[in-house]
Amino acid sequence: MALADITTPSQETEQASVQGSGWRRSLLIAVPYIWLLVFFLAPFVIVLKISLSDVVLARPPYFPTFDISEGWQGFVAMFQAFDLENYVWLTEDTLYLKSYLSSLKIAFISTMIALVLGYPIAYALAKAPKEWRSTLLMLVILPFWTSFLIRVYAWIGILKKEGVLNYVLLWSGIIDEPLTILNTDAAIYIGIVYSYLPFMILPLYAVLEKLDYSLLEAATDLGCSPFKAFWVITLPLSVSGIWAGCFLVFIPAVGEFVIPDILGGSSTIMIGKTLWVEFFSNRDWPVASAVAILLLIMLIMPIILFQKQQEKQAEASQ
Amino acid sequence: METLVSTQPVSDFAPWNNPGEVPLVHFDGVTKKFGDFTAIENLSLNIYEREFFALLGPSGCGKTTMMRMLAGFEHPTKGNILLGQGNLQEAPPHKRPVNMMFQSYALFPHMNVEQNIGFGLKQDKTPKAEIKRRVEEMLSLVQLEPFAKRKPHQLSGGQKQRVALARSLAKKPKLLLLDEPLGALDRKLREQTQFELMNIQEQLGLTFVIVTHDQEEAMTVASRIAVMDHGKIVQVATPAEIYEYPNSRYSADFLGDVNIIEGRTDISTGETASLYWSDEEAPLTVSTSLRLPAQTTAWLAVRPEKLRISKDKPPTSDNCIQGKVWDIGYTGNISTYHVKVSNGSILKAQVSNQERLADRPITWEDTVFVHWDKGAGVFLET
Amino acid sequence: MISSFKSKLTVTLVSAAMAALATSVAQADGTINVYNWSDYIDESVLKDFEAETGIKVNYDVFDSNEVLETKLLAGTTGYDIVVPTGSFLSRQIQAGVFQKLDKDALPNLKNMWSVVSQRTSIYDPGNAYSINYLWGTTGIGYNVEAAAKRLDGKPVDSWDIIFNPEILAKFQDCGIHMLDAPTELFPAALNHLGLDPDSHDKADLDKAAELLKTIRPYIQKFHSSEYINALANGDICLAIGWSGDVFQARDRAAEADNGVTINYIIPKEGALMWFDQMAIPTDAANTKGAHLFLDYVMRPDVIAKASNYVVYANGNKASQAYLDAEVLEDAAVYPDADTMENLYVTTPYPLKIQRVVTRAWTSVKSGQ
Repeated sequence: MALADITTPSQETEQASVQGSGWRRSLLIAVPYIWLLVFFLAPFVIVLKISLSDVVLARPPYFPTFDISEGWQGFVAMFQAFDLENYVWLTEDTLYLKSYLSSLKIAFISTMIALVLGYPIAYALAKAPKEWRSTLLMLVILPFWTSFLIRVYAWIGILKKEGVLNYVLLWSGIIDEPLTILNTDAAIYIGIVYSYLPFMILPLYAVLEKLDYSLLEAATDLGCSPFKAFWVITLPLSVSGIWAGCFLVFIPAVGEFVIPDILGGSSTIMIGKTLWVEFFSNRDWPVASAVAILLLIMLIMPIILFQKQQEKQAEASQ
Repeated sequence: METLVSTQPVSDFAPWNNPGEVPLVHFDGVTKKFGDFTAIENLSLNIYEREFFALLGPSGCGKTTMMRMLAGFEHPTKGNILLGQGNLQEAPPHKRPVNMMFQSYALFPHMNVEQNIGFGLKQDKTPKAEIKRRVEEMLSLVQLEPFAKRKPHQLSGGQKQRVALARSLAKKPKLLLLDEPLGALDRKLREQTQFELMNIQEQLGLTFVIVTHDQEEAMTVASRIAVMDHGKIVQVATPAEIYEYPNSRYSADFLGDVNIIEGRTDISTGETASLYWSDEEAPLTVSTSLRLPAQTTAWLAVRPEKLRISKDKPPTSDNCIQGKVWDIGYTGNISTYHVKVSNGSILKAQVSNQERLADRPITWEDTVFVHWDKGAGVFLET
Repeated sequence: MISSFKSKLTVTLVSAAMAALATSVAQADGTINVYNWSDYIDESVLKDFEAETGIKVNYDVFDSNEVLETKLLAGTTGYDIVVPTGSFLSRQIQAGVFQKLDKDALPNLKNMWSVVSQRTSIYDPGNAYSINYLWGTTGIGYNVEAAAKRLDGKPVDSWDIIFNPEILAKFQDCGIHMLDAPTELFPAALNHLGLDPDSHDKADLDKAAELLKTIRPYIQKFHSSEYINALANGDICLAIGWSGDVFQARDRAAEADNGVTINYIIPKEGALMWFDQMAIPTDAANTKGAHLFLDYVMRPDVIAKASNYVVYANGNKASQAYLDAEVLEDAAVYPDADTMENLYVTTPYPLKIQRVVTRAWTSVKSGQ
């Protein structure tokens, strides 16, 4: 998470070695900032601006728009027309709060399931004989070679009443009546966990693979059973991987739209769908933008808090 | 850290010479295979209580495998390992009264020094107060009291090493295994720590088994050394015995510097033997109880410091060879003369520098005589 | 409002990405860009047009009015001809998205059918901005065997099957889908309640929402395209859907020969009639070419080819001479005069009411 730290030493060495060509160095340093500016900050500002506007039937369907020909005056006028009406609106209908909460709940549960499933897989991968590891890793990544949509659609065939899963369960005598899984929350969880599991496994694998197994030997040597050694040694030492994996699953899961739309039932409300409805059905770009801005803040806040916490920890341990 | 070295009462402590003594550890015909590779071959060995036992050998000789079998991380393919009277095979690693100090130290990075040292006690559900007392005791033993709250990454190499030692000692194991414990330390710190280890071992009255490839370390700390080669024990004896009376060229060569002269035997008397090492020169005479048939190939091993060197032919000497100074190695306290003899081989003779360098009479290209007593060397058949 | 494609989403996502990238590239005179619904034309129409005029047609497809509208409102689509549905077209005209047609350049307007142009003028007064391409209805698609079993042989001919919970409940076990389109379902519910299907009155709409809530428990899913495959595979047995889509399901089931027979009806109480209209965006680069294309499409034989191919009715009276008998004589495609009387059209909701409707719809679907 603390990617910024990594760049520091390399910048220092650059400073030392590339004397006299300051502009080139500045350019080099500026590239990532320009990237962030163009592809993150600018879109964010545009969306923020729309979220402060009012909806109108026009092209584009909001007001005010920024007319560059009016210069500074137009800019001021634009600012005067801004208001927080759309954000107030979001508090007036409980639908939005419910959508956010429901999305957070679904994302949280999915993340936990992915963690519980992904950890043993990552562990097994990390412990597998070296010559097998790249093959096994490939199997984890392999699904990405197929379109995400096709894979999610394939689950319809598995989960539906006359689907593969019910067929196998009925055939094996585990159930007498076909289960209704498709178009329920269970199907959403299956879809999300399936789609994002590799994002959980890969960071966990990266951490577990680097884990010094002599630590586990040391623990058992000191009287700790292998099972307990997992809890007191392996797990605490893989915390960074757990966090990374959880963020990688949780964040896209909160805003997930496609999986609930294809696999889920109509009664599940998620913020992605609510946003879609605002944007497309209601044509209310300003409210849709406000929903998006709030979602962004909701997702960024825990990351910032987490990073602050990590920095504190790092400072404390220096 | 200024610990005074108390010379071990080596002469008194020799349980291996007492046939009635029950060994603490008994390897009984142990073989360990990894696939097709035989790491340990039909090995039997006794280690006694309060011993500081060293397993010495080059990497790949099987010494680490033996230690890992003691710790329970590996299991013998054949044979038994007994600890006290019990068969060790049955117990998993976490139920053995054996602790190990890892080569990498294997300190838990997420726990501070205190928690690392107390870890083993905590696993045994030792009362909190008792853990606290033991940890403090260990901290004072390794003189790390001020560092109790530090995490491993905030410690120096020597400090980590001492935490690892304290951690492995905290449970007062019957047997402590040390896997190349000082390998990561620089020379001075290593020497100092060797003496600390010996002190602690003596103070606590525990049995230590150390794995090392460093012969000096083994000789310094060990009550006995097992010299290992390719999964077999070549010789088990006290450092002095191995040094003075190696049983093979391998042993002789592994411990300290040695001249090995190959030749053929004459009929040996049981007291002395003659070794014909060169067609032009007189045979060498060696005291030995070995009786070998005539014309057998045999070797004389003689330590460089046992050789004397002079410009003039000594009036009387059991063995004397003429040669030319080929090279001189000067290491301050000692000078090693490399002398090329008639058959082209080099003999090393060490002379302690009691005189100043400038006064030394022998120099490069000088013709010299290397001579020694018949009892100075060891006669070897392998 | 035809969503005649399985992966509406693919197109949605791709179009969203395209919208960002699409810029008005100066078009060579010899090219027009047409943006139409997917699976909605006989490709030979395009080839013939190219051969005859030498104008190259870039043909691109979409799957939802919302996506098309979003692109149009964002501006500079680069398209010369787009095909929104009437109610969407209406507010797009208000938003200033389209240019008036040059009727002098469209001599084939004479072929158009007044029955249809009357109705489309509700959305586009005087048909100043658009011509009708194809039209259809929103009715009931069902599995013939399953319905016969559950209704004791009584015919499927009434909205009662949907809006009477007692009858609808009989179909719950075999699966019921409904379009995820409030602008289609509210009029149907209002009509069933005896109210004006095009009512924009909040009290009326609330009543419709109440009715929809009573049948909600029996609906497996609200989705605007999945029902095509689901009907064809026998996964569901009842759906409110668009005529052509249900015909597609019918044909797929017949092709698969899986023992599933699908039928589409326009209930006797009437149904929503909708119109897909061709129009030219204000920023079209090749207006002249666009007019040529519109005029070409209004040739009787050309539009008949499209209708024959996709089984949707068109607004071209003269074309009826060229239609296949099985299309022209199918009352579900070309309703008879009596049925036609009962078909109703709706006008777009004002923004405030639109919000009320979508909110009520969310509430119906989710119970929230």
